[in-house]
Amino acid sequence: MQEDRGTQVLNYIALVWTVARKDLVLELRTLERLIAMGAFAVLIGVLFQFSIDTSLIRVQTIAPSLIWMTTVFAGILGLGRTYIIENENKALAGVLQSPVALDVIYLGKVVSNFILLLSVVTLILIVFSLFFNLSFPIEIKGWLSLAGVFSLGVLCFVSIMTLLSAVAVNNTMGESIIPVLVFPLLVPVMIHAVTATNRIFANRPFVEIEGNLRMLVAMVLIFLMLGASLFRFAIED
Amino acid sequence: MTSRLEAKGLVRRFSRLRAVDGITFDLQAGELLTIFGPNGAGKTTLLNILAGVMCPDEGQVLLDGNVVVGSERQWRKEFGLVTHQTMLYDRLTAVENLSFYSKLFNLEDSERRIWDAMEDLEVKEVANQPVGSLSRGFQQRIALARALLHDPKILLLDEPYIGLDLYASRLLRDLINQLKDGERTVVLVTHNFGQGLELADRIAIQVSGQFIFTGSSDGVELTEFEEFYCRKIEELRS
Repeated sequence: MQEDRGTQVLNYIALVWTVARKDLVLELRTLERLIAMGAFAVLIGVLFQFSIDTSLIRVQTIAPSLIWMTTVFAGILGLGRTYIIENENKALAGVLQSPVALDVIYLGKVVSNFILLLSVVTLILIVFSLFFNLSFPIEIKGWLSLAGVFSLGVLCFVSIMTLLSAVAVNNTMGESIIPVLVFPLLVPVMIHAVTATNRIFANRPFVEIEGNLRMLVAMVLIFLMLGASLFRFAIED
Repeated sequence: MTSRLEAKGLVRRFSRLRAVDGITFDLQAGELLTIFGPNGAGKTTLLNILAGVMCPDEGQVLLDGNVVVGSERQWRKEFGLVTHQTMLYDRLTAVENLSFYSKLFNLEDSERRIWDAMEDLEVKEVANQPVGSLSRGFQQRIALARALLHDPKILLLDEPYIGLDLYASRLLRDLINQLKDGERTVVLVTHNFGQGLELADRIAIQVSGQFIFTGSSDGVELTEFEEFYCRKIEELRS
């Protein structure tokens, strides 16, 4: 009985990865979304560099906010197109005709979007560290905290975006509806993600970040569960 | 004798429009039903309901006497759907597309099934080419391979001839003919009267969501049927 349960879980994970892998292969063959998000991130970094008067403002104090805003805007640009590829030849109708549960499709897309956006975040951090002379953590623990905050924050954002881009693809307003829906939902995520990032760059002790990390974990779980259960209404006729 | 596929009083509304309006029929294993009808008659909606992609507002679909519940996705293993949209990813190769679907259907021995399907449908030569770079005929045959990969009891074909040239169209007709193995039940929706009649065991005409005619295809002549069809449509419109 125990083994059956274990096999079921492994099969479920394998199916989620099948959907995610297919999306990643399709993206790597065109690089459409990655190039758009990457170029956007670099250009925004350049614009911030020229538009902020560093003699008046200490850039390091606002850099975490700028990094997260750039992540969100780049994400809206790229992840808003999650289902465009599925509309080609009505491919999603074929997937929906399979016996796979809808939450598998949703979670597969969350995984692929997470990997894509996390790679863009890495680029954003490199660009911003070059332009704004960011002081990265010295200790391993600080690096792990930074990785944790960005992974959790990005996962929250991606779980919301993956659901809302499914809404957008079947909506007459199209992608323009996404920012209207996503920004209010992102407020609590941004509060905790930006606060934690600020404290990590300020080399504050882990206890000051722990609370934010816990809140981000809770939000990840809430958004993933909501996304998986509401996906049906966004995608099915 | 229990029917392989049975539709009982199917109704599907879109606002005020009744796209499918009380359709009832039953098919035995191995039978092929061809549905003809003008554009907007609700034929695609009917196939989507049969495939479980869409839920009916009223009525039931029964498979071997058991009610097919759309939300229970395991039923979908028993149905294969081919439309004029291939439902394939253009940037994946034929093998990659079929491999993806074999994983979604959790098929055992998927490698063998994929290559067998490609051999049966004569698409092995383009197995490693991106689907988007192939001709419409090849794409449609790969779409058919995708629908048959899990060996469904019911095959639903929605205007599969659209966009095919004469040769590809004949090839597809021969392939569908081969599928009439006495076990698989096929529902074909087409505007191609010649091929639709040739393949059919039973025929139906659907207009405004309703079957206005159902019967056997035995002894039905193409020209006579075309005249009958046009006359029926004119009667209804006047």
